[in-house]
Order: sequence, then C-alpha cells, then structure tokens
Amino acid sequence: MKDMVKSEGGTLAPTRTVWAVRFVLGAVGLGLMGYGAMGFPTQLGPSQLLGLLVWMAAAILIHDGLIVPLSTLAGFGLRRSGSRLRPASAAVMRGSLMAGAVVTLIVGVLLKAQTVARSTSALEGDYAINLMWFWAVLLTVAASLIYTIERRYRRGSSRGTSR
Amino acid sequence: MLFGALPDPTGEASGNRKIWGNPPSTVWWCDRAMEKFTNALASRFASPTRSTRLTVVLGRWLGVTFTVCFLTGLLSHGLQNPPGWMFFPTQPVWIYQLSQGLHVTAGIASIPLLLAKLWSVYPELLKWPPIKSFPHALERGTIALFIASSLIQLTTGLINTYKWYPWPFPFRETHYWLAWVIWGSLLLHIAVKLPAILEHWRRRPQSVGAAAHKAGQDEASPAPGRWSRRSFLTAVGTTTGAVVLTTAGQSFSWLDPLNLFAPRNMGTGPQAVPVNRTAAEAKVTDLARAADWILTVTYGGTSRPFTLADLQGLPQHEHELPIACVEGWSQTATWRGVRIRDLVGAVGGPPSAELRVTSLEPEGAYRTMLMPAVYVQDEQTLVALELNGQTLDLDHGYPARIIAPGRPGVLQTKWLSSMEVL
Repeated sequence: MKDMVKSEGGTLAPTRTVWAVRFVLGAVGLGLMGYGAMGFPTQLGPSQLLGLLVWMAAAILIHDGLIVPLSTLAGFGLRRSGSRLRPASAAVMRGSLMAGAVVTLIVGVLLKAQTVARSTSALEGDYAINLMWFWAVLLTVAASLIYTIERRYRRGSSRGTSR
Repeated sequence: MLFGALPDPTGEASGNRKIWGNPPSTVWWCDRAMEKFTNALASRFASPTRSTRLTVVLGRWLGVTFTVCFLTGLLSHGLQNPPGWMFFPTQPVWIYQLSQGLHVTAGIASIPLLLAKLWSVYPELLKWPPIKSFPHALERGTIALFIASSLIQLTTGLINTYKWYPWPFPFRETHYWLAWVIWGSLLLHIAVKLPAILEHWRRRPQSVGAAAHKAGQDEASPAPGRWSRRSFLTAVGTTTGAVVLTTAGQSFSWLDPLNLFAPRNMGTGPQAVPVNRTAAEAKVTDLARAADWILTVTYGGTSRPFTLADLQGLPQHEHELPIACVEGWSQTATWRGVRIRDLVGAVGGPPSAELRVTSLEPEGAYRTMLMPAVYVQDEQTLVALELNGQTLDLDHGYPARIIAPGRPGVLQTKWLSSMEVL
C-alpha cells in the first residue's frame, strides 16, 4: 500500500502524505464544526439550545443504554437457536430479524406520529396493517430460504454418506 | 483517574509506576475495579463479527449517504435562503423532486447504516480509562458530538416528514446547523482514523476478521449460530434496501407500488395530488372563496387588479410539472394558467425583474415569497388556475397559486393575494 509504510514492529505507519491529508481534513473539519456551532446561537435561544443538548444526550443514552444492549441480548438468543442451523441459514434468520426490527422501529415512530401529529393531510396509510404484511412476507421469505438451505445441505450430506 | 495511563504498583505492566510510586492509592484500586468491570462488560458485548474492516466498509456506505444528504440539503437550503451567488436550476423540471427525494431517502437509508456502524464500534465505549490524554479526550469528545448530532439529525429529520414536532427547538434551523457540525466532526473523525481506514480500505487476509481468527474461526465459516462479516454486511444492505423500498415511493413514482411506510402516497389528496397545508390550517377559507377576490400586480406606480375572470381571459398555458415538498414527497401533475412573465409584462415590468408574491394567509413563514428572475422569465412558471383539468381545489390554492419548475413546494405560494414586480 502506497499510503502506508511498514514500521519496525510490522504495523503500517502513515506516510508524510497521509499526515498532510490528515492535517487538512482535521483543520477543515474543525472549521466546519466551528461554523455550525457558531450558527446555533444566531437562530436558537438559550432554552432551545439547552433543549437540543438534552435531546442529544438522550439520544446517546437511548442508543448506548437501550438499543445496543437489547440487540446484544437478542443476539445471545439467536446464537443459541441458530447454532443448530447451517451458517447460511443462521445468517438469513439474523438478517431477516434485523430488517424486521429496524423497519418496526421506524414504523413505531410513524404510528406514534399518526396519533399526535397536527397535520390532517399526511399519514393517511394503514401502517399497522402494512407492518403486519411486511412481517408476513419477510418471515415467509426467510423461512423458505432457511428450508431450502437446510434441505440442500441434508441432501448433500446424505449423498456424501451413501458414497 | 481520568488522564494518563493506569499506574501499576507491581511494576510489571507499565512504566508509569515510577511517576506514581507506592503504595497504591484508593484511586488506583477504583481504577483497577473499573477496568475489570469494563473489560468484563466488553467481553459480554464482544463479537467476532466486529472488526476494523467491518467498520470501514460501513463507514464508506454511511459516508455516501451522509454526503448525499449534505449536498442535497445545501441545495434545498440555498433555494429557500439564497446567498448572492446562488444559481437556480429550472431544468430539468424535476431537479428539486430528484434532489429532495434523494435527501430524504438517503437520510432514511442512513438509519440502519448508522445503527450498524455504531454497533461495530460499541466495545470502544466500554474501554477504561475513558480518557487517556488530551488528544484522546479531543478525539472521544468529537466522536461523541458526531454520534449525538447524527442520531438527532436522522431522528428529527424522519419525524419532521411526519409533520410531528415534539422537540423544544426549531427544526429547520437546527437541521441546517447540525449538518455543518456533523460534516465537520465526520471529517475530523476521518482525519483521526485515516491510517486504520487506509489499512482496511481493501479486503486483506491479514486484517479481515482478525477477531474471528483470534477465536479460531475463519471468515467463511463462523462459529455455530454466529454470522460472518459478509453475512452481516449483506443483512445491513438488505435492511437498508427494505427501509428505502418501503418509503421512497413518496418521492419516486416507480417505487410507489412498494410504498408501505412513507407518510405520503402518490395520487392521494384532492385532485390526486397530496396537500401539505390545507386552507383551514392556513386560515384562508373565507378569503379565498370571496366573490370579490382579486390578484393585485404592481410595478413602480402602476397597480393592476385581476379578477379570476380577468385571469381566465388571458392566454392560458398548460405544463406538466412536479410539486416537490421539502419533506420529500412529490407528485407530477398538469397545471394550467397564466404565464407569470405575461402578468409582469401587463404592468410594464422588465423581463429581468424579481417578484415578491404574497398569499392570503394571515401569518406564516411562507406568507410572502421572493421569486428570482430566472423563474419569472421561465415560460413554464404559471399563476395556475387549474390542476389536472379541473379548477384548483381550495386546498391546492384556489383561486390562484404559483407553480414553477425546480422549486421547493413551500415556495409554490398558494391562495395568491398580490405580486409586486421588484
């Protein structure tokens, strides 16, 4: 790799060009951050700024303290139940649940908005029903894929045994 | 201890012991306890799927969506708050429909990508000590700012498309300034991590799945029940595809059949076009329906009132133009009415004039609108009286509204009251 050179320890060390690029990126980044930070007080009052900071802190807390630990717990469960499946099947199971969970998260907010949003000219869909259909299709596709993968593997292994 | 490496009273691990000397203090024991605790916690969250290569790949994907959001957002902001050097593209007529559709769709696509990217580096959060030095504090501080800003930007951006505003700050201004903070902190983050990014930019056997190799697993055959990096990335890509396909139909008609979860559907609303702000919400119902409604066009000392019959008596022009909202939805429709430039000419205004257009709305940020000359001159810019072959519906701006190519929906002023040639 041209941008890195091997150091004595065997690890890759950045060249002068990389250092120069890092410096420029860092300086431009700091400048843009400063521009953005300076812009807030021109249009937001103190209480609004405080509210924004509270929302930012809450976002980190909810993400780091709730979403990731919950997804890790789900991962433990899936590891156990997926250990009897082929790796490809386990991946299909995890992937479909990931897609379902993220879509459900987004639709959950949408459903909440539907009950409180002030506009009467938006959010006219039947999102709960749509979500049920989405899950039905997702689980059907995932189950079909897992069935096909497992069946193909069992056929392959039984052929191998018969030889 | 927040700064500096951990002291080691046994003298076996670090060179810092000389600085601290002996005996070990209570602070040292607390540090050791925290280190053990966070290590134990980190091992709980450890996964062989996580690797620097995974984070770099996810970072690249997120970099693309964030860049699309940033650039299209700047265009939208520039069209609404034009600086002196601003250019106003009117061709193709769907340019704003495309750019704002991309803005909202890329923002929605960023949600699973950001969650996956943050998941890939989650154990970093549990490292002890949290801060080792001033540069490290700076690095972690900017990362925290980047993460918090990104989470808020995507969450509020999504909820804004639902026309729900549960936060105590103004959306548009916050969205704009946060975009700069995010991009700045993203560049700074790239600067800090550039060596690792370059090292793992391409797939290299010695760097891919390092944790998996350490655990005795190889990338192609993960541990039972686990998934490989490639499977994880495929799942993230599939999830991103799912959220995009089920929402982007509000912006792109060819995806309309899959539109399950967008706040708007094409073809809905009066005259098969969605409405963002109804006449009742704008409090214009009586004024717009008044029999003595007139549109006043002024230039210098000349002022000319046009009744609806007057406007209908002028040469009518028909164009197929999209109406594209800042919230991402759009709809192409057939509009019929009087060319703006004909009305400007009727009061003796120059072809290069700008316009100040005022709505019947008694209040609101978009009650008055400034129309740059490029739109005034465009032959497709109309004072529309009809939509899809019918008289304008009250919620679409009856008796007359503006429709211009390539402009945000909020600037397509409805329920016209006056136009001043500047």
